[in-house]
Amino acid sequence: MKKYLTEFGRAIKHGDIWTRLSLLVMGIGYVGHGQIIKGILITLIQVGFCFFTGRVSWQYICKLNTLGTVQREEKLDVLTLTKTVNDYDNSLQILLFGVIGILLIVAFILLYIGNLKAVFQIQQQKENGKHVNSFREDLNDLVNGKFHITLLTLPAIGVLLINVIPIIFMICVAFTNYDMQHQPPTYLFTWVGWENFVQLLTTDATTTFGFVFTRILIWTLFWSVIATFSTYFGGILLAKLINDKTVRWKKMWRTMFVITIAIPQFVTLLLIGKMFGDYGIVNSFCNKIGLVDLLQRVGMISDGIRYIPFLSKPGWAHVMIILINLWVGIPYQMLSATGILLNIPEDQLESARIDGASEAQIFWKITMPYMLFVTGPSLITALIANINNFNVIYLLTHDYVTPSMKYANSSAKEVDLLVTWLFTLTNEDSNYKMASVIGICVFIICAALTLFSFSRLLAGNREEEFQ
Amino acid sequence: MRKKIKIIGKHVLLAVLAFIWLVPIVWLLVTSFSAYKGINTLHFFPTEWSLDNYAQIFFRPDTVVNFPAWFRNSLVIGTFTCLISTFFVLMVAYAMSCMRFRGRKQLMSFSVILGMFPGVLSMIAIYFVMKLIGLTNSLVGLIVVYSAGSGLGFLICKGFFDTIPSSLRESAKLEGASQLKIFTRIVIPLSKPIIVYTVINSFLAPWMDFVMANLMIRSKNPEDWTVAMGLYKLVEKTLVGNYFSVFCAGGIIVAIPISVLFVIMQRFYVEGITGGAVKG
Repeated sequence: MKKYLTEFGRAIKHGDIWTRLSLLVMGIGYVGHGQIIKGILITLIQVGFCFFTGRVSWQYICKLNTLGTVQREEKLDVLTLTKTVNDYDNSLQILLFGVIGILLIVAFILLYIGNLKAVFQIQQQKENGKHVNSFREDLNDLVNGKFHITLLTLPAIGVLLINVIPIIFMICVAFTNYDMQHQPPTYLFTWVGWENFVQLLTTDATTTFGFVFTRILIWTLFWSVIATFSTYFGGILLAKLINDKTVRWKKMWRTMFVITIAIPQFVTLLLIGKMFGDYGIVNSFCNKIGLVDLLQRVGMISDGIRYIPFLSKPGWAHVMIILINLWVGIPYQMLSATGILLNIPEDQLESARIDGASEAQIFWKITMPYMLFVTGPSLITALIANINNFNVIYLLTHDYVTPSMKYANSSAKEVDLLVTWLFTLTNEDSNYKMASVIGICVFIICAALTLFSFSRLLAGNREEEFQ
Repeated sequence: MRKKIKIIGKHVLLAVLAFIWLVPIVWLLVTSFSAYKGINTLHFFPTEWSLDNYAQIFFRPDTVVNFPAWFRNSLVIGTFTCLISTFFVLMVAYAMSCMRFRGRKQLMSFSVILGMFPGVLSMIAIYFVMKLIGLTNSLVGLIVVYSAGSGLGFLICKGFFDTIPSSLRESAKLEGASQLKIFTRIVIPLSKPIIVYTVINSFLAPWMDFVMANLMIRSKNPEDWTVAMGLYKLVEKTLVGNYFSVFCAGGIIVAIPISVLFVIMQRFYVEGITGGAVKG
């Protein structure tokens, strides 16, 4: 960082007139040193930036501290019966344009400093009698030494647009009071500091977020661990069963399980949800064979109802979701486990057998350590994927109605994960502020998990091992 | 004798498991041939068989169902998404794996961190951004949403590129090949499995997604919907009584192209993934 700035200072200090002039007009240094096209292009960028900031984003950036003060008012002119609207502030636009504007300014400052350094470098090259690149040579460099710039520009713009800007925007929203009562364009919202985070942890007469949040958090963590490990072991066991030497028609068995992947998840999950509905086909079957009566006598379902509440009562729904997730997840795990199981060195297994190890011993002492070694990192990925497992929960439980007032108050359900709760809050309640706070919590959980176990990947110290 | 019982036991177990896994699929299939439009709650097999659901899907678009249009939309979105995403992923993976430049590691860590924000969180903000650009309610907007961020998913592909011996690239460089040439003539031809994997995955994503599509496309005209969105709407409470078996037929039809892709992918799937993750 320090080196970065001193280089910049040196360029100003030792630069000639062209270099210094490019502090003002960015392209002039290039033009002075004979790189005319490059100079024009850079100057065009500068003009474009100044135009956008001056005409569009600056007015929004100025209002960022309050997020707008003038509320929208409509006046009905009685004589002409036309409505006139005052020049109101739109908090949403201010925040969005403000974020984009600031990002642009940061990018421009980086470009500006880099530009000056580049000009200074050209000046030095010229002074030392070295060759200065022509425009064509610069272009050639873009597919060779600086190829990474060519490669990364478009994807980076895409990521900025779809990931970075929305994430920064939502993080900002977590510190505002943007909710149903403060919806632009009719109403304004403004900064409230850490208030929403406090609200997420409080439980009193009016808010139940604290109560609901801890319970949903526990269920989310519980679910992700159970879902990950149950499908993981299920997949390995199934793969082992199919790959067993004595089992015939291996391909047919495998295909039967893989077929379930071919149908999109939302179709199968909705279908299964309907099958296990209160008046669905499974329930009428259970009624027919007397299972409902039996369970009623045991006291597992309450007296008033004539069905098994597979997906409509807490407890039942939790268990069913985990079971149905087995149905969804095991074929995938089976596929990837098959490939890895086939890679286990056969001589190891053989020698273990000769030494008299039982099948169970071989499984726990050879197969599992090998599987864990190969798939360990992907287990963490799966864990994070399950924390964010929107489809299974949402599709199975979108008809679920919570019996608890406390949950209903925060528009949550007993079976919600943090992400599905977040989704309900934004989509049905327009409670963007709390949704953002929850989103940040999910991020913190995932980041902690990743840092905890993935630090090797972040450091990237293994990447040259195989090259 | 005991061994024989064990073998039979294994087959019985497999048969039971396969039965459990196939019940919903079979129900989907037989319900799609049902003459009764709602959910059949009393019988597993339809009491009256008919091909009408398929006829309705293909030839009788109404105010709710317009399957040919949905299919067309999804196909367009899938094709473009898959093209753009594949290019992005390959480009980023090559830059991160085969080139050395300042800030590379920081960029990689940054992208891993970005990937940890839940997608559901930024969804609504993406909608605001797209509205700002004026791309909501359009196929172009959906293509942008599905493909623009795809550069972040470079890790698996990078892992694969890492296994390509660097001596290949070095010798090409000595012969005077530019990085562009190395990328297009050496690395890409060697990466067939991972390319197939990326292509198929990015092609399938728009077929499966109903959340983002529902958010981005607010049009009430079924002609503007995608397959996932349309099918999802069919099981809403007000419609499910009249369209459930049509929904099943739609599910079966969507499964056909996906299965074909899976069969193609299966050959590359294991190879591509394990090749990227472990080789040694």
